[in-house]
Amino acid sequence: MFIKGIIAIFRKELQGYFFSPTAYIIAAFFWLISGFFFCSILDELIQSVATQEQSGFLVSIDVVYEFLNSFLGVIIASLLLVLLPALSMGLYTEERKQGTLELLATSPITNWGVALGKLLGVVTFFTFMISPLWLYEIIIFSVASPAVTFKSILLAHLGLILLATTILSLGMFISALTANSVLAYIITFILVLVFWLLAFIGRGVEDFFRNKVGGELGERLGFMIKETLTHLAWVEHYQNFIKGLFDSSSIILFLSYILLGVFLTAQTVEALRFQRK
Amino acid sequence: MIEVEKLSKVYGTTVAIRDLDFCVPTGEIWGFLGPNGAGKTTTMRILAGYLRATTGTARIVGYDVHRQSLQVRQRIGYLPENPPLYLEMTVEGFLDFVARIKGVVAGERGTRVNEVLKKCQLQEQRRVLIHKLSKGYRQRVGIAQALVHDPPVVILDEPTVGLDPQQIIEVRHLIKSLAGQHTVILSTHILPEVSMTCSKATIINRGSVVATDIPTAPTISSESCSYELEIQGDVNLILPRLQTIPHLTKLHYQNIPHTSRFSLYLKSESTPEIGADVARIIVGCGLDLLEMRRTNPTLEDIFLAIINSES
Repeated sequence: MFIKGIIAIFRKELQGYFFSPTAYIIAAFFWLISGFFFCSILDELIQSVATQEQSGFLVSIDVVYEFLNSFLGVIIASLLLVLLPALSMGLYTEERKQGTLELLATSPITNWGVALGKLLGVVTFFTFMISPLWLYEIIIFSVASPAVTFKSILLAHLGLILLATTILSLGMFISALTANSVLAYIITFILVLVFWLLAFIGRGVEDFFRNKVGGELGERLGFMIKETLTHLAWVEHYQNFIKGLFDSSSIILFLSYILLGVFLTAQTVEALRFQRK
Repeated sequence: MIEVEKLSKVYGTTVAIRDLDFCVPTGEIWGFLGPNGAGKTTTMRILAGYLRATTGTARIVGYDVHRQSLQVRQRIGYLPENPPLYLEMTVEGFLDFVARIKGVVAGERGTRVNEVLKKCQLQEQRRVLIHKLSKGYRQRVGIAQALVHDPPVVILDEPTVGLDPQQIIEVRHLIKSLAGQHTVILSTHILPEVSMTCSKATIINRGSVVATDIPTAPTISSESCSYELEIQGDVNLILPRLQTIPHLTKLHYQNIPHTSRFSLYLKSESTPEIGADVARIIVGCGLDLLEMRRTNPTLEDIFLAIINSES
C-alpha cells in the first residue's frame, strides 16, 4: 500500500506538471538560457584554445572539464537557484489552498508516502527539463578528441540531479509550511542562497572570530565553525561530481539533505493534525 | 459502527468540543445537528482522521481513530465542507486517482469509478475538467470521491450547503440511497435536512451533546397530543364545555383579525385522544369547524426547546 500510494501521488504530480502552463514557462525559460550559454561557453573555449595554438603558446587544457565546470558548475547551478524554488513552491501550498490536503490526510497513505511521491514527481519533471542538454552533449562530446570517458559526464549529471533533488526537497518542506506560493518561493530562494554561500559565510565567521574574539579560543572556535559549515556546504561536493570524482561522502551528504527535507515535510503535515488555530 | 467516547478538542484557550459521547449503529443515516460554531466540523474532522482530539477517542468499525488511523482511513469516505477537488483534473481522472490512494485494487478500479459515476449521475461529465463544473456538480464529485472505494462508513460535512433547491433535493436523494449498505453520519445546521434524510440524530450545542438518538421522523406520541383548530362563530359558546374535557392541560384562543373566526389551541396529557370529543362539542354548539389538525412536536420544536433551555 505504501509503494502504491507513492506511485499514485507520483502519477498525479507528473500529470499536473505536464498539464500546467507554469511548468512549461519555467522549462522554456530554462531551455532558452541554457541553450544560449551552452553555445557561448563552447564557442569561447574553442576560441581560446585556437588563439593559444596560433600563438604557439599551448598550455595543456582539459576542454571537457573546463566546459562542464563553466556550464554545469556555474551557469546551470545559478539557473537552478532561481528556477527550482518555482517548481517546488506549489507542491503543498496548492494542496492547502484547494483543500485537497484534507483528502490526502484522510486517505490511507502516510505523510512520508505523499512527500516521497511528490518529490519523485518533481524530480522526474526536472530530469525531463534537463534532458535536451544530454542531446547537445552527446553531439559535441562524440566529436571530442581524445575521446571522452562517459563516466565523468555521468557523474557530473548525477551530481546535478542530486543537487536539484536536495533543493526541491527543502523547497517542498518550505511549501508545506505556508499556503502562500510567493512566500514559499522567496523563503526557499533565500534558504538555498544561504546554503550556496555557506562556505563563504564560514570564512566570514572565521575572520570574525579571529579578529573580534581573538586569542587561541577565537582561532579554534572560528576554525571549527568554518570547517563545519564548509562540510555542510553544497558547492564543494557538487564540484567534486563535476570533476568526475566519485566521493561517497558527497552522495551521503546530498542524500541526508534530501531525507531531511522529506522528514521535515512529513512532520509539518503531521503537525497540522494538532492544529491549535 | 461509530462510537465516540469523551471526545474533546481544545484550540488554544477555546474549547471546540467537550466530552462528546454518542454511537451510530450500522446502516443508519445519522444526523449531526447543531447551530453554526457548535463543533460539528471539528468532530467530523476527528472522525475522519484529519485532526487529533485533545482527549477522548472514537472508534470506527472497531478501529481507534488515533492509534489505528490508517485502518480507519481505509474504511471511511469523507466529504469535507469544501469538496477537496483537483480542479485541473477530469472527473474520471480525479475519481481514478482517489480510488488509487484509497487502495482500490487495479482490477476493480474501473468498475468502481463507473459505479459511482452512475450513482452520482456524472456519466455525462466524466471527461469534463472539474473547474468547468458548477457548484452542484462539484458537490456530486465530492460525494463520488467519498464513495469510490465503497467504504463502510461515510462522513459528510454539510453536504448541501450552497446548492440550489433542485440540487439539494438530488443530493438528499443520493444520501438516502446509501442507507443499509453504508453507515452515514452527516452534519448540518439545517433542520429539515435531518428530518428528510436521516433516521436518527445527535444534537450538539456549544461543543456538547445535548440530545442523542433522537428519532427524526414525526411520531405519534401516546402520552400527549395537541390540536390546532380554526373555527367560525362565537367562542364563548364552546369554552365552558371544552373546559370539562378530562386531562385537558392547555387551552387558548386568538381572534383572527377582520373576520369572525378564531384559532384555538388545545393540549391534553393522556389517552384516550380528545379529538373526537372536541369536534362533537364544536359542531353541537352550532359553530363552523373550518380546520382541525393534530400537531406533533417536530424536530424543530425539540431543537429549539433544547437550545433555549441551554441558554
